[in-house]
Amino acid sequence: MTVVPAQQEGGSRGGGGTSGLYDVLELVLDRGLVIDAFVRVSLVGIEILKIDVRVVVASVDTYLRFAEACNRLDLESGPKKEPGLPDLVGEITESGARGKSKGALSGAAETFADAIGQGREAASGRSGDEEPRRPRRTATSSRKKEES
Amino acid sequence: MTTYIYGIAHADHPAPEKPVLGVGDPPRPVRIIRAGELAAVVSDCPDGLRPKRRDLLAHQHVLTETGNAGAVLPLRFGSLSTDDDAVRGALGEHTEHYKTQLAELTGRVEFNVKAAHREEAVLRLVVDDEPEVRRLTEALQASGGGDYPERVQLGELVANAVRAREVHDAHTVERALAPLAEQSAPGPEGTGWLVNLSFLLPRTETAPFTEAAHRLAEEQPQLELLVNGPLPPYSFVRPAQPAAEHASRG
Repeated sequence: MTVVPAQQEGGSRGGGGTSGLYDVLELVLDRGLVIDAFVRVSLVGIEILKIDVRVVVASVDTYLRFAEACNRLDLESGPKKEPGLPDLVGEITESGARGKSKGALSGAAETFADAIGQGREAASGRSGDEEPRRPRRTATSSRKKEES
Repeated sequence: MTTYIYGIAHADHPAPEKPVLGVGDPPRPVRIIRAGELAAVVSDCPDGLRPKRRDLLAHQHVLTETGNAGAVLPLRFGSLSTDDDAVRGALGEHTEHYKTQLAELTGRVEFNVKAAHREEAVLRLVVDDEPEVRRLTEALQASGGGDYPERVQLGELVANAVRAREVHDAHTVERALAPLAEQSAPGPEGTGWLVNLSFLLPRTETAPFTEAAHRLAEEQPQLELLVNGPLPPYSFVRPAQPAAEHASRG
C-alpha cells in the first residue's frame, strides 16, 4: 500500500511537496464547492480523463490480452504460492507496480498523465525526483518481467 | 481585476503568518477578503489561467496552508469573480449555509482512497475461483496458446470475472474503512480505479484509519491501495440551494 502524505511545506510553494497531488487532481478538478455567482475557468482538454473503463474492458483486444496473461500464469506453482507482488517500497517501484496492475484494465491514467504532461514536464526542472511517480506502464512492465 | 477564489472561511480566519503564494507565474500572493461573518481566501487571477499542473498545485497548496489555521470550504479549481466587491456580495448570499458547512468541517480532513488490481494476483484469484477459467487456461497452455476463438472465449470469461472481482473488492474496501470515518463520498468515476472513495476524518484522529488501510492492504494483496491525505475536504462541501428552489422542493 502507498500512503501519500499531503504536502506539508509552508511559506512559498516552490520545491517539494508535490507528491500525491497527481493522485488527487480529479478531486481538485471535480470536487469542491461550486458557487453560482462565480464563473469557472474552462477545463477543455482535461475532460478526456473521463473514460468509461467498462468500454475498454469489453473489447476483443482486452479479451486477447487477458488470455495472453493467463497463458503466462504459472499454474504449477499452486494457487497460494505468492498471492501478489510483495508490498513495495520506493517511489519508482511503486509507480511500476501500479502501472502493471492497471495495465489490462485501462489506459485512463496514462491519458490523464498525458493531459497534464505538459505542465508536469515544465515543472520537473524544479524538483527532479518527482518524475518517477508518473505511471510508465510500458517501461516498468518490461523491466518487471526481466526481474522475474 | 479578476479575483481567483480558493475557499470560504469564517470572518475571524487568521491572515497567513507567512506569505502564501497562489496561482499564476509569477504566483500571486493570497489575501483574505472579509464580509460580514465570512471571509474568502483569494488572490488576483492571472490572464489566461488554464488548468495547468502548476496552478492546480497552487490551488491545493493554498487550501492546505490556510486550512491549517481553521476551517476553509474548498472551492473547485478555477472559480473566478469580476472583482473583490463581487466576492463580498457572493459571501452575503448564503451566509447561513456556509456557516453550517464550516461548523461541520471544522477540524476535519479528507482522505482519498483508490484501489486497482495487481493484474497477476487477480488473475490467479480468478483462475482459482472459477473452474471453467482454470480448465480453459490449462487447455490453452497445453496447446501452446490456443486458437483465436479459444483465446477470445477465455479472455471474455476472465474479463467478466475480473469485473465481478472489481465490484466485490470495491465493497471490501468500503466495508473496511467507512466505519472508521465520519462520512464517506464517492470520488469521480471513470478514472481507471476499481474504487475511488473519500472519507472525512477528524484531523487529530487519522491514525486508526490509516492503520486499517494498512491492514486491508495486507489482507487483500491483490489490491494496489493508494491513500492520499490529509486533504482539504473537497468531497464534503455542498452547494447552497437557491432559496426559491429549496422552498419549492419542501
